[in-house]
Amino acid sequence: MMTEEILAKYKPQKDNLIQILHEIQDAHHQQYLPEEELIKIAKYLNMSMSSIYGVTSYYTMFSTKPRGKYIIRLCESPICDMLGSDKIAIKLKEILKINFNETTSDGLFTLESSECLGLCGNKPSMMINQRTYTGLNEDIIELIINDLRNE
Amino acid sequence: MSELVTITIDGKQLTAEKGTNLLQIAKNNGINIPSLCYHKKLSPTGACRLCLVKIDGTNGLTASCTVQIKEGMNVIAFDEELETIRKYLLDYLVSEHNEANDETYNDEFKDLLKRYDLINTENRKFPSVWKLFNYPTDDSSPVLTYDASKCIKCFRCIKACNEVQGKNVLSFTDRGISSYIIGGFGVWGESECDGCGECIQLCPTGAIVEKPHRTEININKIDRKVKTTCPYCGVGCQIELFVQDEKIVRSIGVDGLMPNDGRLCIKGRFGYDFIQSKERLTSPLIKKNGRFEEATWDEALDLIAFKFNEVIEKHGNDALAGYSSAKCTNEDNYIFQKFIRTVFGNNNVDYCTRLCHASTVTAMLRSIGDGAGSNSIEDFETTDCLLVTGNNIIETHPITATYIKRGVARGMQVIIIDPKWTPLVKYAKLWLQPRLGTDVALLNGMIRHIIHTDLINKQFIETKIDRGWEAFEELKILTEKYTPELTEEITGVPKDKMMEAASIYAKSPTSMIATGMGMSQQVTGTNNVFSIINMMLICGQIAKERAGIDPPRGQNNVQGATDVGASPINYPGYIPIGNEENRRKVANIWGVPFESLSSKPGLTTVEIAKAAYDGKIKALYIMGENPMVTDPNLNHTKNAFEKLDFVVVQDIFHTETTPYADVILPAASFAEKNGTFVNSDRRVLRVRKVVETPGSARQDWQIIQEIAKRMKKPMTSFTNESDIFDEIASVTPMMAGISYNRIENGGIQWPCPDKSHPGTSTLFIEKFNTPNGKGKLNPVDYVAQNEKTSKEYPFLLNSGRILFQYHSATLSRKNDALNAFANESYVLMHPNDAQKNKLTNGIKVKLISPRGELETTLKISEEVLEGELFMPWHFSESLVNNLTRDELDPHSKIAPFKLSACKVVIN
Amino acid sequence: MKKETRIALKNLGKINPENIDDYLFHGGYQAIAVALEMQPITIIEEIEKSGLRGRGGAGFPTGIKNRFTSNSCNDCERFVVCNADEGEPGTFKDRIIMENDPHLLLEGMLISAYGIGASKGYIYIRAEYYLSIDRLKKAIESAYKRGYLGKNIMGSQFSFDLEIKLGAGSYLCGEELTLIESLEGKRGYPRIKPPFPAEKGLFGKPTLINNVETLSHFPSIITNGAEWYSNMGTEKSKGTKIFTISGNVNNPGFFEVEMGISLHSLIYDFAEGIKDGKTFKGALLGGAAGTFVDNSMLDAAMDYDKLKERGASLGSGAIIVFDENQSIYDLLYSILRFFKHESCGKCVPCRIGTAQLLSLMDKLKNEENKLEIINEILFQSEMMAKTSLCPLGQSPILPVRSAIKYFEKEIISQSIIVNNF
Repeated sequence: MMTEEILAKYKPQKDNLIQILHEIQDAHHQQYLPEEELIKIAKYLNMSMSSIYGVTSYYTMFSTKPRGKYIIRLCESPICDMLGSDKIAIKLKEILKINFNETTSDGLFTLESSECLGLCGNKPSMMINQRTYTGLNEDIIELIINDLRNE
Repeated sequence: MSELVTITIDGKQLTAEKGTNLLQIAKNNGINIPSLCYHKKLSPTGACRLCLVKIDGTNGLTASCTVQIKEGMNVIAFDEELETIRKYLLDYLVSEHNEANDETYNDEFKDLLKRYDLINTENRKFPSVWKLFNYPTDDSSPVLTYDASKCIKCFRCIKACNEVQGKNVLSFTDRGISSYIIGGFGVWGESECDGCGECIQLCPTGAIVEKPHRTEININKIDRKVKTTCPYCGVGCQIELFVQDEKIVRSIGVDGLMPNDGRLCIKGRFGYDFIQSKERLTSPLIKKNGRFEEATWDEALDLIAFKFNEVIEKHGNDALAGYSSAKCTNEDNYIFQKFIRTVFGNNNVDYCTRLCHASTVTAMLRSIGDGAGSNSIEDFETTDCLLVTGNNIIETHPITATYIKRGVARGMQVIIIDPKWTPLVKYAKLWLQPRLGTDVALLNGMIRHIIHTDLINKQFIETKIDRGWEAFEELKILTEKYTPELTEEITGVPKDKMMEAASIYAKSPTSMIATGMGMSQQVTGTNNVFSIINMMLICGQIAKERAGIDPPRGQNNVQGATDVGASPINYPGYIPIGNEENRRKVANIWGVPFESLSSKPGLTTVEIAKAAYDGKIKALYIMGENPMVTDPNLNHTKNAFEKLDFVVVQDIFHTETTPYADVILPAASFAEKNGTFVNSDRRVLRVRKVVETPGSARQDWQIIQEIAKRMKKPMTSFTNESDIFDEIASVTPMMAGISYNRIENGGIQWPCPDKSHPGTSTLFIEKFNTPNGKGKLNPVDYVAQNEKTSKEYPFLLNSGRILFQYHSATLSRKNDALNAFANESYVLMHPNDAQKNKLTNGIKVKLISPRGELETTLKISEEVLEGELFMPWHFSESLVNNLTRDELDPHSKIAPFKLSACKVVIN
Repeated sequence: MKKETRIALKNLGKINPENIDDYLFHGGYQAIAVALEMQPITIIEEIEKSGLRGRGGAGFPTGIKNRFTSNSCNDCERFVVCNADEGEPGTFKDRIIMENDPHLLLEGMLISAYGIGASKGYIYIRAEYYLSIDRLKKAIESAYKRGYLGKNIMGSQFSFDLEIKLGAGSYLCGEELTLIESLEGKRGYPRIKPPFPAEKGLFGKPTLINNVETLSHFPSIITNGAEWYSNMGTEKSKGTKIFTISGNVNNPGFFEVEMGISLHSLIYDFAEGIKDGKTFKGALLGGAAGTFVDNSMLDAAMDYDKLKERGASLGSGAIIVFDENQSIYDLLYSILRFFKHESCGKCVPCRIGTAQLLSLMDKLKNEENKLEIINEILFQSEMMAKTSLCPLGQSPILPVRSAIKYFEKEIISQSIIVNNF
């Protein structure tokens, strides 16, 4: 959807900013917020550029850099950390050949970490886009990534 | 008065208003609780936590900046625990802080480190961590640098920008310890920042510092700081200039003094470099064989005296005229008009006010008896509704606009009437966009709607309007034909919007009008203002606090110059020249024979040029004016000036006008002068000498006195400005109670009729200043403009100011900081017109009117209506006034700068 | 002895959360029907009498909060806000409710709105909860269609509009005043308190903010009466609570039980004991902003006040269990890293303190004077607790003090082990 169409769905009230940012980011094939779109939002909501940027940079789910088709959010909460998410992280970096906050060269995956996703059990968890994955171990990770690569 | 309460801080009893800020009360009473994020001009933030105190009945510690005092509150502000905590917090803060200090700024943080014995790193507990966070420096703004490593994240800059200036340009980026301030998307120079520097003034550390003179200034080596009045627009901001080695190196706003309470715009803060420009005139110049040569003052003054006398002898007294100056002080202008009246022996004195608010003043004088603004600048914040007509107030009166923006933040409704978009639209409830030149129709439509919906103020009409209901009936009959439909047809403003605007204006408990050049600089200028006054009167939106009409004055002393008699028809104090009693009184004070004072009205600005063209004026004395930019139809003015026998220009720079001079005299700038200005809300403000004049430049009033002496018609010989002002007070009833002593610590608003009078913040509370004390309705019909578009000239050109330049730009363009923001001429065109004419953004175009032509750059913009163009007029390489007409408003003789038919061709 | 008492989860597994008819069939929207027959003040009184306390973590009496908001002005606009920004590590009770019974939350909000006279409500939910958001959206849509939201609900004079607002990744936005800032579309900075939301909340108007779980108790309280509710739980902690148990246990998950249950029972009866035959070393109660306990606390009753008396906190109901192989040092490190990451940066002690604490943890690894460093961590956490603007900066002291209390030796030895790696 075009930014203009998304904006038209909302009243030009500042309290709609976060929803608008989500929608525009989700609608972008690289799942990020390009500056030119932020300028349109600023104009529509009669806000300064910095107030928009201040919000996008405060919340960890927003990105002003292009991202992959799949955003992997590995939970690094104290719980998942305790349950071995560090090993999952190493595995992910190894399979994807990227570090955190980087995107694979084919544009498929962006690796991010997240605070507690509320998927706590006795093994680590993560999300890929809107899907949740619990009970992770190093073997499962490989399967999940391969499945997505083949999708 | 609100309730007084008694509180106790560390055993000391204090009394203050209930609800006031605890920290501020403590500070006011010498209890110096440390703080960094708090500033009395800002809402409390509670971020630095240094002002934590203990309050009886409250658990834990409370930030005193966030507490409103209540009766009986018992506070501990200092004990061992609190002081330990404060030291701990400062120690924390310094671990995050880059302490490099180049001594170019005051450092409140460093002062506190001293106070808590933390300057010595050995006394600190916490390891320095700031280097871990790679804090950036943003050097992209032309006027300031932000260094995040010196930032203590106190929010003061953000709030200065938002709450004080109403701009909201700054924010934090990121969060936690890696957060820092940004403008725009992180590049300050590409943000909406307009360089006012309020953030610099309120920064407690050196995180935000100004760029100009950064390499020279040392805050510990400032020789003196002098308070004076800003020389740009008519707000009259109080500034303090810092002098180091006889050079002005900084300008800051003076806190606590009206009208600006410390606020400045970019011109006030960064527009002072012209004072020390190398281009200043430093020696008299006499034109010999078409070239100017340096001369001594004796040579120059003797020549002038001889030539002026020669013209008087050959052509009579009426063959001379003078332009006085809105840039000069009251004292200069007063001496100048006295010179014209007593030495030239005529009333041919006028200045650029004629090209500015003459129509406004004419209409106001006739209907309510005073041409000055009826309210105070601070009322722009507290009124309920503000109607802004033809007035780009954010750019032309930036500090008045800060009050409006603050007002909007607390619920004030702003209605704008303007054919062109202005930045205030962002803050407005409604924007009505009438076609150029259709204001009378629009206002008559609004009046009709107010009458038809019975929103008139009946009691006001009965008691305060001359001829009451009879006069009202005449207005009602005249406006009856302006039905919403017809009004929409003429103006292009949707009728619902027009009616809503009228209702809001009429219904609001208090409404003010800020009217500007868009209304006044038209052939129908006076009628435009008559219409709006008609609306104001029938709604009773005047003669009470926070209601009335305010034409913000364009220049620093355009109000004062006319107040002290720089007018072809009025003596000082707006006493008509025909008033014999006054002439006798003044002649007595001036020490001249009564008969020598002419009672014949003098010529106005454009009339002077016309008379010169006709050979009736032979000699011209120009003080601090630049008619070769400011006059309409400049090609005509040029021809006229070339016909003059003798021209003297007294200025601080070469201007577009000086080439026409026979003698150029170097004068003092505002920073080299003592004197007074009168601002837009009638406040008489002190101007103080900060530095010496360059070269042999002299004071304007001294030069005038010297010419008079050498013409053998000596005037009272003054030796200082204070004495001149005392004489002004003696002949100007509304300033009779004012003297330098009284305005040493802040201006006084006239009328101030006697020494014990406090001045007047709102006019007309008791009665109008008309003979019978009543307001007069002047019903006027809409008349279509003579100037129309045609096949050949399909566009209507509008002109105006921008924030970063000023007037004919003689002063403003001598400042790199201002030029960095805007230094090029352009013309705005609606995208549809551009498309139709196959014109693209950024191309060079030629604008041609029947009067002349100019070259400029095309900017495509939705700020203007289709068929209309807009150009800033500051740039002498693209003189808008080559295109304008000298067809004058019959009432006020103002020229129609706002409406010229023209065509656009690719250059 | 493994029996849950389900109130907030009463329909779990019994209904299709995407089908309003299912909810209605199970008695849905009957509580609001009952409520609409009552005077609003009676609703508030019932909630007060039930003894319900805020399930978000603070345990503030819900009825009092309702009354404050209701009394703060006459005839002015008010808002009810549901805090669904569940972010306390180890907590997922609200997600379970929203995913499984979204209408129950809606009904709870309707009752609370009617009680305080609000006609507009918001659910502020973290954006990662995609399924919850989806189900809530569907629930709101069908509730509007059936007249349970919108004008003149069920033919009464009461009208109520409900909107979902998303967070975007900020733990702090679960703090109620910060939540309001975020709801207004701003950066998540905590506001100065007072004024409390009950006086000046969203858009400057009185605002009642309640947690998802808290609101989910409203319908049952109205239907069954305050007395029924207050017969459950303990003297001062009434009713039921959902505990979410994670970590080294055999059966991690969520369990709704009466207040007052022992920690031992939760871990061994419900979570089925420690995984892989290991032994219980300790638990973190209430998430990152919670407290560590060791086995001396297994007998503790899960009750706001009784836990507090013993220096622990119930918090959000998260119970993170760890066995003898876990490094307390690592866990504490991870918690302090979390606080640093989530500190908004507004106030000095939290912004710098969270960073300094983490560097002290690093120092602990690398230096010999470990006791001194541990004391310094404690000192700084205490200072932060005293001076910080909002609960985030006041929180590190809770895990720090309790970890040191129970596990000082382990922290020291584990920091050496890490060093030898």
